[in-house]
Amino acid sequence: MVSANDLQEMYENAVTARHYEERLQEEYMEGKQPKFDISAGQIPGELHLAAGHEASGAGVCAHLRDDDTVTAPHRPHHVAIAKGVDLEAMTAEIFGRETGLSGGKGGHMHLFDPDVNFACSGIIAEGCPTAVGAAMAADKRNTDSVAVAFLGEGAINQGGFLESLNLAAVRDLPVVFVVEDNDWAISMHKDRVTDVETAAGRAGGFDLPGERVDFNDAVAVYEAARDAVERARAGNGPTLLDVQVHRLMGHFMGDPESYRPEADVERARRLDPIPKLADRLRSEGVDDDTLEEIAARAKERVEDAIEHAKEQPKPDPATVQEDVFTNPPSGATDEEPDAGGPTAAAGGED
Amino acid sequence: MADAETGAGVEAGERDLTMSRAMVEAIETEMRSDEDVFVMGEDVADYGGIFDSTEGLLEEFGRERVMDVPISETSFVGAGVGAAQQGMRPIVELMFADFFGVCMDQIYNQMAKNTYMSGGGVSVPMVLMTAVGGTYSDAAQHSQTLYGTFAHLPGMKVVVPSTAYDAKGLMHNAVRDDDPVVYMFHKRLMGLGWMPAPEGPKTAVPEDEYTISFGSADVKREGSDATVVTLGLHVHRALDAAESLAEDGVDAEVIDLRTLVPLDEETILDSVAKTGRLVVVDEDYRSFGVTGEIIARAAESSLGDLEAVERVAVPDVPIPYARELERAVLPGAEDVEAAVRSAIDE
Amino acid sequence: MSEMAGDRVAVDSGDVWPADADDIAEGYVATWFAREGAAVEAGETLCEIQIEKVGVDVPAPVEGRLAEIVAPEDAEFERGDVLAWIEPG
Repeated sequence: MVSANDLQEMYENAVTARHYEERLQEEYMEGKQPKFDISAGQIPGELHLAAGHEASGAGVCAHLRDDDTVTAPHRPHHVAIAKGVDLEAMTAEIFGRETGLSGGKGGHMHLFDPDVNFACSGIIAEGCPTAVGAAMAADKRNTDSVAVAFLGEGAINQGGFLESLNLAAVRDLPVVFVVEDNDWAISMHKDRVTDVETAAGRAGGFDLPGERVDFNDAVAVYEAARDAVERARAGNGPTLLDVQVHRLMGHFMGDPESYRPEADVERARRLDPIPKLADRLRSEGVDDDTLEEIAARAKERVEDAIEHAKEQPKPDPATVQEDVFTNPPSGATDEEPDAGGPTAAAGGED
Repeated sequence: MADAETGAGVEAGERDLTMSRAMVEAIETEMRSDEDVFVMGEDVADYGGIFDSTEGLLEEFGRERVMDVPISETSFVGAGVGAAQQGMRPIVELMFADFFGVCMDQIYNQMAKNTYMSGGGVSVPMVLMTAVGGTYSDAAQHSQTLYGTFAHLPGMKVVVPSTAYDAKGLMHNAVRDDDPVVYMFHKRLMGLGWMPAPEGPKTAVPEDEYTISFGSADVKREGSDATVVTLGLHVHRALDAAESLAEDGVDAEVIDLRTLVPLDEETILDSVAKTGRLVVVDEDYRSFGVTGEIIARAAESSLGDLEAVERVAVPDVPIPYARELERAVLPGAEDVEAAVRSAIDE
Repeated sequence: MSEMAGDRVAVDSGDVWPADADDIAEGYVATWFAREGAAVEAGETLCEIQIEKVGVDVPAPVEGRLAEIVAPEDAEFERGDVLAWIEPG
């Protein structure tokens, strides 16, 4: 069961995310042809795009509020969009501009939007302990906020994830772990590096509920996520969701994917979540005009964000050492109070 | 097999190699001659290593000796330690040095300390190879060198090649060494199709095997006005700076450390005795690291020789993403040049 | 089959074009390993070219001397262009 409103919102988030990734791919590749130089162009560095993952971000974030915390890995844009991250500031950050979310200091792998409690990070699984911590804070303060940690199926073998499952379970914390299983950890297929068939299989071993959602289906994700988020909000502890998604592009931009069989790429295209979601909307009575309207709005929003980003100033190198600390050491020595002990008797500090 | 102390010791072949191919050539030669040598890491099999460090090995040696492992650094780095203690010679790849956080216990508390804690009873003949360095906007968690961190903790040898010739000889030595060797290769020097290398790291490389001893710095450029001590990418930045300085008649000596542990003090101090001016260039954070260490050693042993000291390093700041900001923190040839001039003006 | 010009044998980019890059017509030279004037063995890797992000090793078609490098590092070329000439023997 999914409301018409939520359905349309999911569709809009999914279409926005897809268009965003396709446009970023174009913007990224500009200036890097014909010789692919990762440090050249308007968007340098390692860019990981989530085309094909939209069902997961849209389906889960449909149940989240601004005060719910989300942590995501290096492939986060679809989650950020569904979470309500400021798209203009996010895009400016990806383009390395001064008005980006982090003033150009973080970049596409380190997007932080405190207003909606979203953050992504580049170290595999390391967003999980942070999400557990946010859940811990909610628990201590007796709010019904929840935390959600997104991770890839490659990350389920990382200690930080496994420890987080246990810590969340033993303390009944309001956190949901969402594994996005796209089969590939760069070039390593999950069959070669993981013994359990699906990530959901880990849940029982840690004594928390786990559910596998197959077929890259946004509505199925939505339904499973609703149960998990409600469980967390009610104070009934963590859940592990294992969502099947498919990577439509390479691991990072520039990845020739020589290791990936062509049949696997074709399968990813066949199982594209967006047409499936569109069909579901149609079956609920939404007409094609509305679908096109949503798509047009999404495209416009993405184009505006990109155009806006390109107009932003580049960061001033003089600011590079700011923001290391919230309370930067001032360099001045504080006056220490006279302790009245042996030092004072001996003449003190002066 | 010839032992090459300097670049001039062995007759160079007529072909050049990129640094990545030179590393691979050493690894494959060792694997052919010793069944106990195997490679473990993420994406080392089909992908050939994200930075080409194992390119082509899967084809020759198969999946049992070129092993893709799960994203479980603690367990596979630790497994390397365990296998090494059983007499095997694993070459374990930590994809980025920045990832050491998730497995540091296995590195500094197990790999580096077991020999000592056992009173010499066990050896850990393992190579931990890892990609380091920035210059391509990979930001704070993927751009570090961390030379100081690994050199500071006792029990592991630390190797930093700057050329293909050095890379092969040092890798042969690393695999044959009975101690744990952290082999830190700079991504920008590898000669990757998608991250062009500067002039310098691609060199002539002999086809035969040869080793380069650890603790043997290489004077890459002789000079008499200033001593520039550096490693990795910045050997090439320093050589560029030296060329520019030479146009003004300033003659800089560039010393490539090649290994941090053990450190070749003698070569550094001989140079300082000659020039009196010590400039240390490091792509790691300034405080509590390589630059401080080199200068401290010179001050301890040769205080009378020193007229000037300069440090060129990354400030104590996480490496930023935006190109303009990254450039502001990573030292460039101009920064090395300015430091030399400053040392001379003092 | 190697192209000949006089008594020189061409190092032909078309000979190493990957099967799955049929729709791509250009590439560029990433790195030269063999030096002009050097003696080379048949099959020895002379250079690496990049075709659409994939690196391809270019072997010497015959044993001989690398007489002339036509496409230096960074040079762009089209499928079928000669990269270098070898004097066999």
